[in-house]
Amino acid sequence: MKILNACEIIGRVRGDAVLIATMGSMVAFDKLGAQQPRLSSVPLMGGAPSLGLGIALAKPKCKVVVVDGDASLLLQLGGLVTVAAQQPRNFFHFVIHNGTQFTGLSNLPVPGAQRVDFAGLAQAAGYAKVLKFSDQQIFENAIEDILADTGPIMIELMIEPDEPTFTSLNPQKDWTDLQFTRMGDESRRLAGWLQSN
Amino acid sequence: MEEARFNIPASGYLEALQRNKVDYFVTVPDWVQLALHTRIEQGVEGIKLIPCCNEDQAVCVSAGLRIAGKNPIVVVQNQGIYGCINSIRGVGLDASLPIVFMVGQFGREFANFGKNPALSRRNTVRYLEPVLDAMSVRFWRLEEETDLRNIDDAFNYSLDTKRPVALLVGAPTGWN
Repeated sequence: MKILNACEIIGRVRGDAVLIATMGSMVAFDKLGAQQPRLSSVPLMGGAPSLGLGIALAKPKCKVVVVDGDASLLLQLGGLVTVAAQQPRNFFHFVIHNGTQFTGLSNLPVPGAQRVDFAGLAQAAGYAKVLKFSDQQIFENAIEDILADTGPIMIELMIEPDEPTFTSLNPQKDWTDLQFTRMGDESRRLAGWLQSN
Repeated sequence: MEEARFNIPASGYLEALQRNKVDYFVTVPDWVQLALHTRIEQGVEGIKLIPCCNEDQAVCVSAGLRIAGKNPIVVVQNQGIYGCINSIRGVGLDASLPIVFMVGQFGREFANFGKNPALSRRNTVRYLEPVLDAMSVRFWRLEEETDLRNIDDAFNYSLDTKRPVALLVGAPTGWN
């Protein structure tokens, strides 16, 4: 399963759930044209689940879909316990497990990526349910039921990393300011959306 | 004891939080504020307790609550501020989300109470204000009971300017 396919499936089914994405999934949802209600944890690896938890607790009738990265989650593994302690029934935590950082750029290996079991970690932390998918069709068949279920649920997605693109002929380019302003802009739009829904 | 006047009662803090309509107490517990923590743990109507595993998570949970229209306070100690600088930068400064911290000055010598924390022998105490200054995070010291009004000023400033602010709890909160 590729990240764009996984995010397309999530985006198609999420309805009016608040989408919190970070890193690779944020880029994928941008390509897919994902709209409000959404928030990007950027540049802030590791922040997505806790941002989502705050929204989920404040708006218990609103579903919150967090699409995390493996390296991002490793930065804040204790966050699994912070989430589980609150048992937010409206909280759905997807993890893109592709085993690489800067995926599609230089694909550096994530520590322990071949061994770590995020679903197992979430289960041990106290999530209500954990699932793991590597087959796109099986995931696609299951997602509606998952989002109709009671959280907190962890859904670990085994993803084939995109090929790296950085080379001596194609090195890093400057960031646009959007990378540093979008979280604020999106948070203000999301606050307005939440207020009126 | 002379230093007792620096032990601002937990009941005074609680009254100030309620006056400022705080509805969520997001925290990684702090030794300095144990009396206040204990009061909150016992249950306070209208204030929900959200314990977090570290201060990065506390900052982000606070931000999520704020986006969704709530009015949280983040209660940590000085070491926790050092630990979550990047989260403050991300959600507080870059994303312009108000965050109100109460920060215990853990490790402060009792002899330093009421004096300039810069004179503390301990790095964890004396670097807090310079670090906040370096990040342009405005702070207020809470040294005596009359300083509780600073909590009102901090909330007003944070909400008006959409910036993080810090209230520095200088001595253990009183158990009264």
